[in-house]
Amino acid sequence: MSIKKLKKDIFVHFIDNLIRTVKVIGVQAKGERFDYGLLASAKDLRLDYDVTLQPPKKYFLPPVETLVTYEVGDGYSSQYDCEQFVLIGVHPYDMVAINQLDELFRQDNVDSHYFARRDNATIVACDVVNPSKNVFASSMGTATVKNGYDVLLTDIGDSYLAEAATEKGENLLAKAAGAEEANKEDLNKRQQVWDKNEAGLNKHQLQCKVTDLPRLLGRAYNHPVWEEKAKTCFNCGSCNMVCPTCYCFDIQDDVGWDFITGKRQRAWDGCLLDGFTKVAGGHEFRKKRADRFRHRLYRKGKYVPEKIGGQIACVGCGRCIDACLPDIANPVNVYNRLVADLGVK
Amino acid sequence: MDRPRVAIFDFACCEGCQLQIVNLEEELLELIDVLHVVEWREAMSEQSREYDIVIIEGSITRPEDEKRLEIIRTRAKTLIALGACATIGGVNKLKNNFNLADVKQCVYGKAANMPHLDTAPTKAVDEVVKVDYKIHGCPIDRKEFTYVIRCLLIGKRPEIPEYPVCVECKARGNPCLWDYGQVCLGPIIRAGCGARCPSSGFRCFGCRGYVDDPNINAAKDVIERYNLSVDALKGKMVLFGSGQGPTNA
Ligand code: SF4
Ligand code: SF4
Ligand code: SF4
Ligand code: SF4
Ligand code: SF4
Repeated sequence: MSIKKLKKDIFVHFIDNLIRTVKVIGVQAKGERFDYGLLASAKDLRLDYDVTLQPPKKYFLPPVETLVTYEVGDGYSSQYDCEQFVLIGVHPYDMVAINQLDELFRQDNVDSHYFARRDNATIVACDVVNPSKNVFASSMGTATVKNGYDVLLTDIGDSYLAEAATEKGENLLAKAAGAEEANKEDLNKRQQVWDKNEAGLNKHQLQCKVTDLPRLLGRAYNHPVWEEKAKTCFNCGSCNMVCPTCYCFDIQDDVGWDFITGKRQRAWDGCLLDGFTKVAGGHEFRKKRADRFRHRLYRKGKYVPEKIGGQIACVGCGRCIDACLPDIANPVNVYNRLVADLGVK
Repeated sequence: MDRPRVAIFDFACCEGCQLQIVNLEEELLELIDVLHVVEWREAMSEQSREYDIVIIEGSITRPEDEKRLEIIRTRAKTLIALGACATIGGVNKLKNNFNLADVKQCVYGKAANMPHLDTAPTKAVDEVVKVDYKIHGCPIDRKEFTYVIRCLLIGKRPEIPEYPVCVECKARGNPCLWDYGQVCLGPIIRAGCGARCPSSGFRCFGCRGYVDDPNINAAKDVIERYNLSVDALKGKMVLFGSGQGPTNA
């Protein structure tokens, strides 16, 4: 597949043209922070962003969505979002998270609502230019990414290198008038960006190999750290809501005023929330704060990895660290504490 | 189906929540279609039989109101507390922070000792009688109100969020107001409003009441981390936090 070089002014034209033909979502400034949003003009695109407030998963798994509409006694009809869109600016760690969600939603019952959106998306990933204040992707092996995207952009100074990885990506790049072929020197510059990020996106250093985590957690279930941290946990679920790999949801029905037609909706849920584990009859099997606090870090470091071939389900974006008011959510702090107390075996 | 007999009674409040119902516009017609409203803000008529649904707006501030509410309860199959005044005592609980004689003097001046101006510490409805459902907020959210009514009509328990405002705030992609120096009560206040205030840049001041199990240790910890004092937080809590316990949905 091809690797093109787009001078920055050519890139701007390319994006502005794209906006005229297809729905484009890109990273933009939001106050002093950044977030994804519908892109109106290439000049609003901020590929120099550090981290977005929300991960891009909401474009595949929205906070609230209608799954089916029904009519009592007359069946139901599934609702799908089938609009094509281009998603620009996905950082490597967030791309890894999307790859993991793809794998999870393909298991057991394939989630057709998720894949309706996923299949309609063209993802333009983008290497990190400015590290955020809590990123630790280097520790997690997610500072660069090798698959999942349709196009990967790398800022090499006066140009972007754009590598197409799929046919969708090739078709997209074919629209970039004035693009040149990348030469050896350009590729060297890109390699330098990768080398830098693989070491430098690391505001928190994990004191073991990522692959050690499942075994470490296997020995940590009764460690005091869970109680200690959870003492000041609000169970506010902020760490779940901002996480690119959290994918829990709750399903509810709402009937219309005719009491015949209705809709079934799903909304994000989070394992830290009181009531998350409540089942019919009011029984709640993770009633204690510490149990819920532990569960999130077990999901990231042990349970989900067991489902997806050992990949750790924390990609080191650092968003939960930003979001947690009592500052207890940092996965590295907890894992390092366990390494210090229990050692790596 | 038989249209359920519904009555709405108001106690101490601004009637803003009833206004939300009146403002339902086209949905109001649907509502009146399925409900048989037998009393609206009026005194109970003696001949009234049982009510299927009673909606109580406002908080309880006088001894004779407690008696009135108790009688209403005996006639109600299902009782709903509507709005912050009813669910948590609301703004009216402010007076519980002061000496009642001073409050009366300040509000009524010379007339303070007239018997009809007798006053007592403000109570939420569930401090006087059993409440079956609470529709939180000051004022209530219209969508939540109609959803609860539809649930009751099909015999289903409405799902009122147990989680705090932060969940809805984060799901909407808002930056946290604590980072901008605002003491936002979102982490301990029940969601359901769609994080109305933080989404417009104002801190949550707690009108939907506490979540079931608010973590006070965490609040203290955060106050210290942001170099605030517990008194500063108390100052932020008076409007809706006065003498309030956790509100069970
Ligand atoms: S760990 Fe932090 S962000 Fe997560 S629920 Fe607890 S207080 Fe909220
Ligand atoms: S656990 Fe925290 S750092 Fe890890 S992926 Fe989720 S939000 Fe990012
Ligand atoms: S809850 Fe608020 S809006 Fe509703 S009656 Fe009380 S003061 Fe008015
Ligand atoms: S602004 Fe308030 S509601 Fe929103 S996340 Fe921060 S504390 Fe929670
Ligand atoms: S954000 Fe807080 S104060 Fe505002 S409506 Fe919601 S619960 Fe009430």
